[in-house]
Amino acid sequence: MTATESAAVAPPVPGDDREAARARVHRQRRSDLVAAFVAMIVTIVIALAIGFVILLIVGKDAVAAYEWLLTGPFSRTTRIGRVLIDTTTLTILGLSVAIPFRAGLMSLGAEGQLYMGALTAAVVGLAFPLPPGLGILVPALAAMVAGAIVGFVPGWMKAQFGANELVSSLMLNTVLVRIYGYILTEYLTEEGSTSVASAYLPNESLIPTFTQLTGVSFDQANLAVVLVPILAVAVWLILQRTSLGYEVRMTGSNRLFAAYGGISSRRVIILSFIISGAIAGIAGAHLVQGVNGRALLTLSVGTGFTGIMIAILARNNPIVIPFAAFFYSYLKIGGDVMEQELSVGTEIVNVILALIVLLVTSQFVMSLVKRRRLSRLEAKGQP
Amino acid sequence: MRFERIRKEYPNGVVACESISFEIQPGTVHAIIGENGAGKSTLMKVLYGMEQPSSGQILFDGQAVTIPSPQSAIDHGIGMVHQAFMTVGTFTITQNITLGAEPQRRGFVDSRRAVAEVDELARRFQLDIDPLARAQDVSVGMLQRAEILKALYRGARILILDEPTAVLTPQETIELFRALRGFAASGRTVIFISHKLREVLEIADEITVMRGGHLVGQTTPEATDEVALAGLMVGRSIAIADRHPAAAAGEVALEVAGLSCLNDLERPACTEVDLEVRAGEIVGIVGVEGNGQTELVEVIAGLRAPTGGEIHLHGDVITQASVRSRRAAGLHHIPEDRMKNGVALPESIEDNLIVDRYTGSTVRRHGLLSPKRIGRFAEELISRFGVRAADSKVPAGSLSGGNIQKLIVARELGDQPLVLLASQPTRGVDIGAMEFIYAELREARDAGCAVLLVSADLGEALTLSDRIAVIRNGRVVARFDDVAAVTEEDLGRHMLGAAESKEPA
Repeated sequence: MTATESAAVAPPVPGDDREAARARVHRQRRSDLVAAFVAMIVTIVIALAIGFVILLIVGKDAVAAYEWLLTGPFSRTTRIGRVLIDTTTLTILGLSVAIPFRAGLMSLGAEGQLYMGALTAAVVGLAFPLPPGLGILVPALAAMVAGAIVGFVPGWMKAQFGANELVSSLMLNTVLVRIYGYILTEYLTEEGSTSVASAYLPNESLIPTFTQLTGVSFDQANLAVVLVPILAVAVWLILQRTSLGYEVRMTGSNRLFAAYGGISSRRVIILSFIISGAIAGIAGAHLVQGVNGRALLTLSVGTGFTGIMIAILARNNPIVIPFAAFFYSYLKIGGDVMEQELSVGTEIVNVILALIVLLVTSQFVMSLVKRRRLSRLEAKGQP
Repeated sequence: MRFERIRKEYPNGVVACESISFEIQPGTVHAIIGENGAGKSTLMKVLYGMEQPSSGQILFDGQAVTIPSPQSAIDHGIGMVHQAFMTVGTFTITQNITLGAEPQRRGFVDSRRAVAEVDELARRFQLDIDPLARAQDVSVGMLQRAEILKALYRGARILILDEPTAVLTPQETIELFRALRGFAASGRTVIFISHKLREVLEIADEITVMRGGHLVGQTTPEATDEVALAGLMVGRSIAIADRHPAAAAGEVALEVAGLSCLNDLERPACTEVDLEVRAGEIVGIVGVEGNGQTELVEVIAGLRAPTGGEIHLHGDVITQASVRSRRAAGLHHIPEDRMKNGVALPESIEDNLIVDRYTGSTVRRHGLLSPKRIGRFAEELISRFGVRAADSKVPAGSLSGGNIQKLIVARELGDQPLVLLASQPTRGVDIGAMEFIYAELREARDAGCAVLLVSADLGEALTLSDRIAVIRNGRVVARFDDVAAVTEEDLGRHMLGAAESKEPA
């Protein structure tokens, strides 16, 4: 039997019907996107509402607190700047884990990679005086290489020995943060310095800040913000348009199918860890070359893990990650403002953020939205 | 029991059942047949409480009942044996049967009584099981008997069996049928869902035929035959049982010499298997499931490491080659368990179709994957292989089982392979898709492809194969070069071992 005859076996949706079906599929996909967006907004609103009730219960002025929380980040230009700084760092970290996450690999090493990136950027920036342009680029690229190298370790351990990447990448963080502290204290801190910190990097190695550029104070917010859309699109391209991205997606979706199709899981594991580490390394360079101008002993307290949360919040969608990072940073800074202006602690912001994470990981709102839509459709279906 | 104008419309607008009304008499075996997507599974889900009808009702003894959940179905005395067994591998057969309904003593499970009860039940219904064996260690046939006992243990009066014989040998099927007749004789009702018309004609008292969500006919085995039933099912006449032998076989394309391998439990699965498949012929491998055929195919495909022996593809040794290089050399593979490794269900049809060529120029442009080229490639395969899909961007998981199999066949046969490993290529697909897959396999063969067919369906192996080898305990125990002269019973005897075959069946 030939293919033409086979059409008779399964008279698949001829002409118009097929067009209609296709239109339905596209409508469906659009409405899925809308549903995802609605779910995100509803999640945040629910979390805010619960936080509001908690404030009322503990007898605080909830209305005033929320006014500061929600408008605070715009009350001063420096606060806008701080939102931008955090958005940049968290977007980079969120994107860094998106690739291994899509491959079904739990990489928790962003924190350590960030520290190694920061250390390398500082060392290279201080050791090699370079002309403007290269002065920014070379330490940042070195930070990527450093991040990639430490990212490679848990990936290689998994590919070679089947070591659990979750444990090895997590444990490696502790080691790397200590190494950072040791090198910083012993070799980079100048004699007579009052705090543990490296010298300031030469101006050529510092990313220009908006304060310098505009004359208005935007805290330390700097041009690294442009990396947010660039990296988001780059990660999207890697995942959607490259062979590696295809391999990552198939491996994450069905490991056995990938193996059956001839995809090497070894390659996927190692490469996704290397790329992940390289991206996280940029976050370190951003902190050293952009935000602080030097290497400080405490760069982040769990920022790497916040980045992981951002990726989960955005369901590993690289285009959504910047928005999730912005929302998070906005609430965080709003909380700080609230604390400064009123006697309401930032704890309530942590409660709200934790609620958001809980709601997202439980997929509670998403299933709610879907169910409502279903019942609406079914109601329509009834005569 | 009666279905009264049952209609089921899914939220996406698909009407799976349209105004289905018919009666099932107690004490009978009632077969429901139809292609995939004919609505029989949906109807059974409605009966078993897994789906709610959009309109219409189910009546027991003239009383309308609502069945909101499987638990409620069980309370109404309805039991279902699914196609995929729901067993816990590390539990014993008894534990699996009594799971969730264990006899208790002072708040603890009374395991001794459980074993006794299960043993008594098995004896009463002549379903031979070992109550103390672990589920992972027993044959598929015994697992199925355990599933049936599980339903009976919960007091089922109506037993739904979904494709029960797909995994059984002819001898096991005979035993199952004997047990089913016993149920019917004791006043219970059996609803038997199948694609195998011959079996339906053998076991059923009444036959209901569904097509496209409608009830298209009711008959009895006495009043019909295989050809008429097949015609009713697909709405036109077909003939799949005809043999179309190969014209002439060519060079040896695939050669397996002394191949040995282990199974997942590190026990020997294949021992010194020798096989030759020539270009332009189909060689069938038959055997009771779990006798090494699965592992053999996996080793040839490069998914399992051999412990000895060699594999030659057109003279080149590929024993240690990667899956990708085997595929590049023209070795394609229709996997046994399509849901396990044949597709990535959440991913689009497009992504599922390009897994063996995403590095190739057909789907790339400027060094990146080109959505336009991928779309064109996928649409072409979809229409050529008649995959029923609204769009090439929908997830593979939204397709029916038969269409998923067509998708896999399209991918593996889309460009002429040199060697094709076809493992259970028509398992669980409807008769239309089966006819189509048969035709495609023959077409590939006639174009010079060497096909190694593994099938648990002896009729299929006999229809398609030009030569047949029987595998038992990981060894090839019989070879037949003249398939026309072989019967299912011949094969069955070798599958179970010559020693057993001396006993009268």
